[in-house]
Amino acid sequence: MNRYSWLGLIFIATLILPHVIGEFWIHVAIEILIFGLFAVSFNMLFGYMGQLSFGHAAYFGVGAYATGLLMLKTSVPLPVCLVFSMVAAGVAALIFGYFCVRLTGIYFAILTMAFGQLIYYIIFQWYSFTGGDNGLQGIVPPGWLLNVKNYYYFTIFIVTAALIVMWFISESPFGYTMRAIRDNTERTRFIGINVRKYMLINFVVAGMFAGLAGGLLGPFTRSIAPDLCNWQQSGVPVFMTVIGGPLGFFGPIIGSVIYTFLFAFITGFTEYWPLTIGLVIIFVVLYMPGGILGLVHEKMDFFKFKHLTNDIDKGLEKET
Amino acid sequence: MDASMIFAQFMSGLSRGMMLFLIASGLSLIFGVMNILNFAHAALWLVGAYFCYTFWYLMQGTALGLWLSIILAAIALAAVGWIIEVVLIRRVYNRELSEQLLLTYALVLVIDDLIKIVWGVEDKLIERPPVVADPVFIFGAPLDSYFVFVIIVGFGVAIGLWWFLKKTRYGHIIRASVYSREMVSALGIPIPRIYTGVFAMGIFIAGLAGAIQAPVGSITLGMDMAVIIQAFCVVVIGGLGSLLGTFVASLVVGEVYAFSILFWPEGALVLIFIVTALVLIIRPWGLFGTPVRT
Amino acid sequence: MKIKVTIIACMLIVLGGWVYASSSVAAEPYNLGVDLAITGTGALYCKDGVDAIKLAVGEINAKGGFMGKHPVKLFIRDSHTKPDIAVREAKDLILRDKVRTILGTYSSACAVAIKPVCKEYKVLHIPAISNSEGITLTHFSPYTYQVVPNSYMQAKAVVLGVAELAKKKGWTNYITIASDYEWGRSTQQNTVELLKKFAPNLKLKKEFWPRLGETQFTSYITAIMAQKPDFVIGSVASKDNVAWMKQAKAYGFFDKIPYPGSLISVSELILQAKTLTRGLIGLCRAPFFAHLDVPMMANFVKNFRAKYNRYPSDWAVMEYDAVYALKQGIDKAGSIDSDKVKDALKGATIDTTRGKLFFRKIDNQLSCSSYIGVVSDDPKYPFPIYHDLVEVKGPDSWRPEAEILDARSKEK
Repeated sequence: MNRYSWLGLIFIATLILPHVIGEFWIHVAIEILIFGLFAVSFNMLFGYMGQLSFGHAAYFGVGAYATGLLMLKTSVPLPVCLVFSMVAAGVAALIFGYFCVRLTGIYFAILTMAFGQLIYYIIFQWYSFTGGDNGLQGIVPPGWLLNVKNYYYFTIFIVTAALIVMWFISESPFGYTMRAIRDNTERTRFIGINVRKYMLINFVVAGMFAGLAGGLLGPFTRSIAPDLCNWQQSGVPVFMTVIGGPLGFFGPIIGSVIYTFLFAFITGFTEYWPLTIGLVIIFVVLYMPGGILGLVHEKMDFFKFKHLTNDIDKGLEKET
Repeated sequence: MDASMIFAQFMSGLSRGMMLFLIASGLSLIFGVMNILNFAHAALWLVGAYFCYTFWYLMQGTALGLWLSIILAAIALAAVGWIIEVVLIRRVYNRELSEQLLLTYALVLVIDDLIKIVWGVEDKLIERPPVVADPVFIFGAPLDSYFVFVIIVGFGVAIGLWWFLKKTRYGHIIRASVYSREMVSALGIPIPRIYTGVFAMGIFIAGLAGAIQAPVGSITLGMDMAVIIQAFCVVVIGGLGSLLGTFVASLVVGEVYAFSILFWPEGALVLIFIVTALVLIIRPWGLFGTPVRT
Repeated sequence: MKIKVTIIACMLIVLGGWVYASSSVAAEPYNLGVDLAITGTGALYCKDGVDAIKLAVGEINAKGGFMGKHPVKLFIRDSHTKPDIAVREAKDLILRDKVRTILGTYSSACAVAIKPVCKEYKVLHIPAISNSEGITLTHFSPYTYQVVPNSYMQAKAVVLGVAELAKKKGWTNYITIASDYEWGRSTQQNTVELLKKFAPNLKLKKEFWPRLGETQFTSYITAIMAQKPDFVIGSVASKDNVAWMKQAKAYGFFDKIPYPGSLISVSELILQAKTLTRGLIGLCRAPFFAHLDVPMMANFVKNFRAKYNRYPSDWAVMEYDAVYALKQGIDKAGSIDSDKVKDALKGATIDTTRGKLFFRKIDNQLSCSSYIGVVSDDPKYPFPIYHDLVEVKGPDSWRPEAEILDARSKEK
């Protein structure tokens, strides 16, 4: 069986899914898709560019609020709202990213976190515009999307389109420049690449897709709150990416499937979800540094998707 | 608004700053020596507060109950810190930053839920001993007498740490290991043992801080979440790895917060992040850190 | 080999989870959802509330359940005092656990958040702790029934009392301190608005807004004392209230500045029994000792004490009333169908621990009272209670219908 036909099979399976599972699990599936997109956008900074951002949720939140506010206060149709979300998140990423990309390593991480908290507090305090800590409630999707199955297909459509775009970006010369910056920033600089400019462009693109994911969330959950921007929320795509494996394009998606499903499953019978996921992450960090993809790549030759995982060997080399 | 009230506000800012310093100093020490940013620092701080509550509860009625509980809690937490270092932290010494951060963040989740399991969800309340129940008056301004105690402890810890690092043999060894791990181990001193000791010391201070915080209000779940971010900001503003920087930054942040209540209440929280961001943009190594290439 | 085992194990877990999750609950039992703050700022009040709900459900199930044939099954979720989590849990309760009614929440913001979700899925919603007026005033939902005196009613009760005091003592200015979230804002706003009406000579000097979850109030305390106001009105949320009162006391605040009409519920009376300043004029929502002459209340207190070895707070009383309000709605409708029950409850008069009360048709607000009194020791109880208790009845303190219609006409 051709490697790529596996992808096709999985895609067809996701299309059939809503007809075989209960309504509750369709909601879970939509969440997996939205957060999967969020995590893939994060991985553009982490896996491909090698920088850990602990404030990526800020752009997710900005996107969510852009769509939420437009849907509550105007009658702009949802697809247009989503475009606005991407633009708003992109602008925010441009403003804050400009400063972030001048740093690397731990300084980059803390600055992204500080900016994330800044956005969180601005949204939190600007009560008259954003509803502050009450959040935005009662965001209702347009009539044709009220049925959750329809919303599911809508989400699949948008997320697949976004993933295809990000895939092409990651496989383009731009994408390979990112990898070069990750692997050896000095050398990349010496061959004449304006590292800061490229990092900023990547930051903005990543922010835009996070904003798109956020925009999809509001009408789905009917409710958004400033907490979508805080550092705990920023940790979610990090967890997903690390579980799935940062060095493959689909790693974060796999991570999202596992994380979200685990969340829905575990919260069904215990309240100690943080304990569970904390132990899982500790386990993954200590014993599975390449995530699921890394493990699979090592042990099962059949699944070596050349283009999808061409970084895993190199990444694993770095570990030792 | 007269002078004595401004003085009162200044003192309340000072006490807030000292509380911050007690939490942030351990964080700064651990990062300065081991280069690990311990996300779980505030979670352990909270455990220290709960330990203090439990000891106090068991010793209720005895004369020095609270003061003893504070010391016991700090020691107990240092033991916990020791175990965590040996079992977990040691394994990520040489790993990537992201893995270290993730490990300590996952630790936060685990610790917070363990607190919930062990102590339950209800708030814990410690009664103040009569000696600190009434306000003292300095220059006509009322001051919570417990906070006088906090300020004294804060100065004590600052001076104690300074003396330890600058004047004792152990302090010299620790500072040497920051400069060159290889040389120190070549001289026959095992680095892991130094690191474990430093970590335990940092957590001891965190335990002390948590125990001291315990009687201030009530001890509640989730208190650590707001605190860890403030501690990060303080350590960054002061300069990663500089204890003097942490001390100065804590006091500055405490005063900024206290006075912004008067002039820009909504902005009190935002101000801290703006300052942190500015420091990272203009001078990433902070006020007192050593300049590094970023 | 290890990998194969792991994969098969994972697939089995997925399969198991799917089978477990999709096995739907039969229609016979009545699934009752509880969306309260088990953790977070509201945990203090919610524990009591949950205990009272369990007591009520136990009593009802002992008789076979609703209408004698639908045993009640409780599903309790933690809203973390956060609106988006409350919404998520509400959706979970509705979709996964198939509940017909949700009792909740603690935070007013959470109640406002889950209101539209309950409306969309046609599930009854009974807040018994949240009381911001925003729940019933605007964006009206016919599925939401409020059994707590709302923030307007409470504010008016306070204002009437404070206006009297101000006239007597010649006060001219005041300061407010309120937790910066929905309930704090709503309460403070209503208080200021009503004070302007009933004591127009009073001037609001300054407003302080500590954030929800604040643990250190020293800067606020010193700032307020510096201003030397005639009195201070506080609307500080539950957990924070404990810290606020403790720290303010340590500064001698209550000796220097009158602090009338803040929310000191029975929880605070019990929790701070040793340290609470006697003589404070406080406000509460459902003190058990005010209605011991009502048989339902006397029984409830007796059973609650027998089961939990403590006295019920306001929150326990109101959650208990909420469950019994639901029961009476079902009895009146003769069915467990939520649409029929909601219609039966409209304008209905029901028996509660606080007496016979009715739901006002225009906003589904129960005609319950607010209670103001002086904190004093009492030989009957190991904690202080309110003496000189004034009961301000619901119909005397709720917002006039004309104003409600006006507010609704201005909605989007």
